[in-house]
Amino acid sequence: MTVRLFGDRAFLIELEQRIDPAIVDSARAIADAWERRGLGEAIPAYASVVVQFDPARTPWTEASAAASDLAARPPTATSKAAGRLIDVPTVYDGPDLADTAERSGLSTDELVALHSGSEYEAFFLGFMPGLAYCGTLDPRIDAPRLHSPRARVPGGSVAVVTGQTIVYPADSPGGWRLIGHTELKVFDPTREPAALIRAGDRLRFVPR
Amino acid sequence: MRIVVPGLRATVQDRGRHGHVREGIPPSGAADPVALAAALDLAGCRPDDAAIEIVGLPFAFRCDDRRVIALTGRDVRVRMRGRVPGWTSVLVRAGEEVVVEGSAATRFAYVAVSGGLALATVLGSRSTYLATALGPIARPLIVGDELPLGPSDAGVEAAGRRIEMPAYAGSARAVAGPHDSRFDDAVVARVFATEFTVLPESDRMGVRLSGADLSATGDDLLSCGIVAGAVQVPRGGAPIVLLADHQTTGGYPIVATVIHADLGIVAQKAPGEGLRFERVTPAPATRSS
Repeated sequence: MTVRLFGDRAFLIELEQRIDPAIVDSARAIADAWERRGLGEAIPAYASVVVQFDPARTPWTEASAAASDLAARPPTATSKAAGRLIDVPTVYDGPDLADTAERSGLSTDELVALHSGSEYEAFFLGFMPGLAYCGTLDPRIDAPRLHSPRARVPGGSVAVVTGQTIVYPADSPGGWRLIGHTELKVFDPTREPAALIRAGDRLRFVPR
Repeated sequence: MRIVVPGLRATVQDRGRHGHVREGIPPSGAADPVALAAALDLAGCRPDDAAIEIVGLPFAFRCDDRRVIALTGRDVRVRMRGRVPGWTSVLVRAGEEVVVEGSAATRFAYVAVSGGLALATVLGSRSTYLATALGPIARPLIVGDELPLGPSDAGVEAAGRRIEMPAYAGSARAVAGPHDSRFDDAVVARVFATEFTVLPESDRMGVRLSGADLSATGDDLLSCGIVAGAVQVPRGGAPIVLLADHQTTGGYPIVATVIHADLGIVAQKAPGEGLRFERVTPAPATRSS
């Protein structure tokens, strides 16, 4: 693991740079350990953790030592049993469904069966409130990012790119391939917690 | 407090919505944290109180009772009976109209009022995040808005205090990295040797720059967490310095990161103005902030 400087009140801890559920789990365990020490917020992603601190409370040298220590002796990832299973009722009617099926050499029914036939782990949340990056998408689904991203993807869109799947929580620009939509509100600021999906949860897309 | 002239876009902001980054929720808060903290301090508010962040002056308001107010930001002043410079605490009479004025260089102005804005927190903060309508007032302020204030017994003795305005025309201190090893050494050197130009598309999410191609080499990056100040380089090589409303994670390499104390220097640059980065290492940067 490598610890890199990230401004004057954060460090970036990098793990092996690939998408792998075991690496995601280690990143999350490091983030949890940092926050348990009460030093500040941590942001886990696929294969990295940003650990933040407040220099008014924790001197830079102390935070730096704590980050190096976590990288040298990473905590063991916690068991996945904690995650909940969330059903996402999905209408497979997205504008990129046919094209994605065709480029994958599948019928649309086969693509729907593949996408809805497995459980996905929510790796981490990012990009916008409530957006959970989930995987692993069946490699038979060939889904590179769109060449030109859409200016507006409707909230509730179910989308894929190679190896991953997401639900867009709200209208936003986006370059992922839209294969369906759900009425499930994955982000609602009037709800506590506002984000429906937590990292570590499992998702199942149920065709409607 | 009643809004008389709302400016182009005035929103409620505090130190930010921290503690929800793992739900993908941006910190928001003031684009210029130094100016926010100064306004709150001068008005006798607590550091975690909220103020009004204004884009596009003039802005005007009245308070129903006597208050101490403070205005900060770049090149700002208060007009009441006469003109009072910004970065000064001012006693305002009940019902007196206060007009916030600036210059062509003004980008973000902050108004704090003694007693603080008595608004409920949403997810731990009073900050407004317009993109997904988060906050107790999840929209820009409009004419006629009435914002409740906390109790204040501030008197004339609290007025006339000053805080020095930061050197907004100067350069912003930045630390190389975290992804500097993904850039040629010459590109990293260029970050600290170029006078960039601020583009008009800049907003609370980030300040867009032109002036040098900073393209990275090598493979695409896996998305990683982001902090304010990150100098992100999308494909095409034109950098963006991320500010308060930044996405919580991103997939573009970050060549350098502006230190927290200098975020306001970046945020307050006007479109067309030059911006230079001064290279620092974090330990001394931390001491000076």
